[in-house]
Amino acid sequence: MDALISYLVNVISLGGTYALLALGLAVVFSVLGLINFAHGELMTLTGYVLLAGILTGQQFWVAVLIAVLACGLAAVLMEFAAFRPVRNASGATLLMTSFAVSMLLQVLFQNGISARGQAIPVPPWLTTSISIGNSQISKVQVMSITIGILALIALKIFFDRSYWGWAIRAAADDFEVVGLMGIKASRLISFAFLLSGLLAGIAGVLWVVQRGSVDPLMGFKPVLAAFIVAVIGGLGSLTGAVAGGFILSAIEIALQTWLPAGVMPYRDAITYTVVVIILSFFPNGIFGKRDQEKV
Amino acid sequence: MSDTLLTTTGLAVSYGAVKAVRGSDLEVKEGEVVALLGPNGAGKSSTLRAIVGLIKYQGSVTFAGEDLTGAPTERIVSMGISMVPEGRRLFPQLTVRENLLLGAPRKAKIDALFDELLEKLPILRERLNQQAGTLSGGEQQQVALARALMSKPRLLLIDEPSLGLAPTIVDAVYQILADLRKTGLAMVIVEQEVMRVLKFADRAYAMTTGQIALQGRAEDLLASNEIKKVYLGGA
Repeated sequence: MDALISYLVNVISLGGTYALLALGLAVVFSVLGLINFAHGELMTLTGYVLLAGILTGQQFWVAVLIAVLACGLAAVLMEFAAFRPVRNASGATLLMTSFAVSMLLQVLFQNGISARGQAIPVPPWLTTSISIGNSQISKVQVMSITIGILALIALKIFFDRSYWGWAIRAAADDFEVVGLMGIKASRLISFAFLLSGLLAGIAGVLWVVQRGSVDPLMGFKPVLAAFIVAVIGGLGSLTGAVAGGFILSAIEIALQTWLPAGVMPYRDAITYTVVVIILSFFPNGIFGKRDQEKV
Repeated sequence: MSDTLLTTTGLAVSYGAVKAVRGSDLEVKEGEVVALLGPNGAGKSSTLRAIVGLIKYQGSVTFAGEDLTGAPTERIVSMGISMVPEGRRLFPQLTVRENLLLGAPRKAKIDALFDELLEKLPILRERLNQQAGTLSGGEQQQVALARALMSKPRLLLIDEPSLGLAPTIVDAVYQILADLRKTGLAMVIVEQEVMRVLKFADRAYAMTTGQIALQGRAEDLLASNEIKKVYLGGA
């Protein structure tokens, strides 16, 4: 029972972060047909801004807020500087641009800050645990689950109730026709990047607080996981991004918890084998469109 | 002429080396219903898509005295041109209500617009909270029309309104178009059901291989042997 509670806590905690990251990717994919691999560097940026905020004496939650907002702003600037000039280019060009931005930011972090990891000094109250039955759950995990769930609920309300939420969902179905609704394409794309950046910011805070440090290359693994999550859910599907986040998390944590020690080095290989098996049953992802036109 | 609403001059559209439209000159007057006829690949849909700025083109487009050549789609829509695309292309995951609200300008008085539309298309009232993708073809066509009307256009471009619909449903759609015509709304209708649209329209243009081959009053074209020969296989 305790093992199950511990498993579920870990799945929800990691799954929420994956879901937020994958939603960020899916939102941009919806409007631009682009998987933005620089999304991971937005997370890294969040980590550094959070670190700067804490080191300059800001209260923890103020530093978190500044970091998330900075990440949203950075995403808008990224779109304006890097993606807008090539907006009408092929999917391959957009993809290469996202890799270029990713590399550029990594080099800037390495040379402008440090190639080595920096510890994030989280407040002492976050380092303690609470007990559920005989299970100990760290407060970082409690925070992660709470913020993750609140963010997903807020997003659900946003997508269901707001004009821009409908516009992004509509763009996922048919971007061209969204233009016929009189919605300015560049404004919708900027808005999508802002939302994507805010999601990367929230996920970034959860990620760095859980691992306790930030380094220039830390964005690669989570963005790769988020990409896989988005593919499992169905590229461009917002519901799929959330479902995929929890599916990948459930697989990873199950293997982490119950895989025999001798097989543990093959954990990632087994994870992705399971992913491939899922995709063989759902070639366009669980919630994906049957005919995917975008690249 | 002062009552001219839309003019295209030398409109040409190319997809790579393929010339889809080769310099077409169209005119639509206030409140007029114009049919655009032609077989598949004649350039009808490309003409409509060019007018609303969805594709690049050569030539010029003037609407209500303003030059809209090269203008972005959102400006064209705000000027008063709206379009029902071929295949209706609703947002299937969104509800009917959400589809309609997206069609309205952001600062519009939505409630009044809604009431006005639901009076014209009462069937939609029962379907407002249903996902658009779950509607029948005829209902989807009504939603597509209603969505295009949410921006209160002066000119409605309709691409293949009868496509994929049963004849009785097509009758209902044309009845809605007839009601809209009474409000003074100008329309350009691309249609492969030549006889039906010629009976409905005021004037018509017939396109073949990207060029306007025939034009004139719809009733004249209806009687013309050439139309019968080209589009009705000599019937």
